[in-house]
Amino acid sequence: MNHFPEAWGRPRDDVYGAYNGAHLASGMPNQHTQSPIVTGTSVVGIKFKDGVVIAADNLASYGSLARFTDVKRLHRFNSKSVLGFGGDVSDMQYLDRLLTSLDIRENYHSADDAALSAKNLHTYLSKVMYKRRSDFNPLWNHILVAGLDTEEKPFLASVDLLGTTFSSPSLATGYGAHLAQPIMRKLVPDEEAAARLGKEEAIQAIKDCMKVLFYRDARSMDRYSIAVITKEGVDLNEDVKLENQSWAFADRIRGYGTQVN
Amino acid sequence: MTSIGTGYDLSNSVFSPDGRNFQVEYAVKAVENGGTAIGIRCKDGVVLALEKLVASKLVKPGANKRIATVDRNMGVVSAGLLPDGRHFVARARDEAASWRRLYKAPIPTAALADRMGSYVQAHTLYSSVRPFGVTAILAGWDSEAEVPVDGQVGYGPASGAGGKKEGATHGGPFLYMIEPSGMYWGYYGAATGKGRQAAKSELEKLNLAAGNLTLEQGVKEAARIIYVAHEDSKDKEFELEMTWVSSLKGPTKGRHEEVPREVREEAEKWAKKSLESNGEEDEEDEEDKMEE
Amino acid sequence: MASIIHMGREDPGYSFSAAPTAASANREHSFYPYVPNPSPLPSNSPRYTDNGGSTLGIAGATFTIMAGDTRSTSGYSINTRYAPKLFLIGGTGTEHKSARIVLSVVGFAADGHALAERLDTIVKMYKYQHGKDMSVAACAQRLSHILYGKRFFPYYVQALLGGIDEKGAGALYSYDPVGSYEREQCKAAGAAASLITPFLDNQVNYKNQYVPGSGSGLDLQARQAVPLPQQHVETLVRDAFSSAVERHIEVGDGLQMMTITVDGIQEVLIPLKQD
Repeated sequence: MNHFPEAWGRPRDDVYGAYNGAHLASGMPNQHTQSPIVTGTSVVGIKFKDGVVIAADNLASYGSLARFTDVKRLHRFNSKSVLGFGGDVSDMQYLDRLLTSLDIRENYHSADDAALSAKNLHTYLSKVMYKRRSDFNPLWNHILVAGLDTEEKPFLASVDLLGTTFSSPSLATGYGAHLAQPIMRKLVPDEEAAARLGKEEAIQAIKDCMKVLFYRDARSMDRYSIAVITKEGVDLNEDVKLENQSWAFADRIRGYGTQVN
Repeated sequence: MTSIGTGYDLSNSVFSPDGRNFQVEYAVKAVENGGTAIGIRCKDGVVLALEKLVASKLVKPGANKRIATVDRNMGVVSAGLLPDGRHFVARARDEAASWRRLYKAPIPTAALADRMGSYVQAHTLYSSVRPFGVTAILAGWDSEAEVPVDGQVGYGPASGAGGKKEGATHGGPFLYMIEPSGMYWGYYGAATGKGRQAAKSELEKLNLAAGNLTLEQGVKEAARIIYVAHEDSKDKEFELEMTWVSSLKGPTKGRHEEVPREVREEAEKWAKKSLESNGEEDEEDEEDKMEE
Repeated sequence: MASIIHMGREDPGYSFSAAPTAASANREHSFYPYVPNPSPLPSNSPRYTDNGGSTLGIAGATFTIMAGDTRSTSGYSINTRYAPKLFLIGGTGTEHKSARIVLSVVGFAADGHALAERLDTIVKMYKYQHGKDMSVAACAQRLSHILYGKRFFPYYVQALLGGIDEKGAGALYSYDPVGSYEREQCKAAGAAASLITPFLDNQVNYKNQYVPGSGSGLDLQARQAVPLPQQHVETLVRDAFSSAVERHIEVGDGLQMMTITVDGIQEVLIPLKQD
């Protein structure tokens, strides 16, 4: 007997020879998403006093290839909520159809366009994502849900491919978590700060984040979608051009190509 | 029609010697006793209206809606047996959802009418079932938007190979009526239930085929027609239930919704007024219309 | 924690080299109908993540204090500064009114949420069916069974369950991810468990402390641990966490503390360093 309890009671190689696994189920082709194929990069979102601002660029990459340049990764669910998808685009499309069917069913009996709040939607999505990861068949996305909760207060939360959920005054997926979050957290370190933040400041912060992400994330693009969700509804613009970029700083930095030696 | 089927009315799957299916004809009788339901196809949308007879004073006013939403852009109203109408709606919802699963797009109104027609007709074939005791009116607005595909994320090339044809249009208002026999037709204006005769003659006066009636006018006319149709059963209380579906630019943005209370009440006021003046003098009624 | 996360990737140290690599198929004598292609389990897709943080529970004579920091992490990133690890179990409605049991979970947060929700449902159903509140002892054993039921795809959490036992004394139970459990006086779990535990050994259980003047060598008498007063325990909890924050990067932001007594549960939120 040795110190590995998991080996106790099993036939030992030196006595019986190596275990012959030939009769075990053979490795069949994978039927599940084992890795994302066509992907979207960061999604960023920030709460302000009357609502939430969320943005994601319009690029879908195929590995390092900028494959599709007019892909809309923000989805308006109803007048109270918008989803921002990072990760696999086909899984995003599946989720979009799933949520469309949910919305249709919810509206059979109600003329109220937003019977489900953003909070309800996030709970539903988190259960879908957790179920799929538990089935070993994850939906390869990291999603931000932005909008208003049941009390019409600003709501921002995330759910990822493992079903992990969290909420914060500002959120960002992918590279945004590293590059955009510090910018946004400076502005809204806590909920109280978010409850004081004005709409224009919030929009400006998101635009600044998109610029930083375009500068430093190689899988990003300079055209993006931005949505502002307030009690008045969803203001979604799907074709915003990144403004006032400047690479002027580059010629003073070694590695950007202008230096000779 | 003789109600003595001489044995040929006992089963669905049996014709009478003179080529009639009595079970279907009895089902039509059930429809003829139901509250009047109508649909008007306007140039920028469709209206559905129902004379909902109040079964009991103990029923909450405005509750128990009878006009159902089937998909985002479609509604169904029916006259006849209530539970049969409910089942019809449940089936229509399933059909619309399965179409979406298969084609990743909303079902065209015509396709849903076809499928529901087949489904209702199938209930006239087998001895194990009875025909639907309802005539249903199906209203829809097929989207005129460029991107109706569910989950579509891009728009493709604007021109050239794979580009879009300039000026091509599609979509629009649709109205179908499906009867217990499974027969269905597309209509400009459809009416069924107890007051269908009066309603039909009123609908004919609207000259709907010309395609000039707007949705706003349609709502008023629909209210008026239900009030006209109610004249024959004046002793009974009723509630007017109305839904509409408009173009994407219209008031419902392509969705099937209940007509807002203020709009409905205004239409009802107008309907009552024109009904009163119609009783006194026809010419006054004409003047009212001119004002509108 | 980390060693179990990497279990799939590391050689667990069998005495033989070729451990079975695929799920075993049904045999001829199988009770179950023949399944031609049991879908192979993906090996490289992640099923778990570690969201960091720490929890702590201390039982007193008439109370139990449960605590946890509110930081949630992914690697070096902070997901959020407020993600509670303490969950009220039972009571009525979503507000858990009149609840007397608290579950704390640390590890994989999604599993933690799923576990808390499941236990909460069970405790509520118990009350609907039997017309009385579930005892902590029963709840504790039920939790063990839930965890053990997912033995081969565990809830990746270290759970603590706190409440008041049937004699009115503070009760605390600790669990491993697959349901092994015991009742304890105090327990730290999660990322900073190894930092907090020796502190608790010293301050709660008086380990390696002896009665002054009791002699030397074998004559030394160990200082007896006694149930501590509530105020004192609260101070210990705060000290434990503010110290852990200094030494562990995954711990910080806020301290959520729940004090369970027969009269109810009091919750406080105390700021911790955000660095």
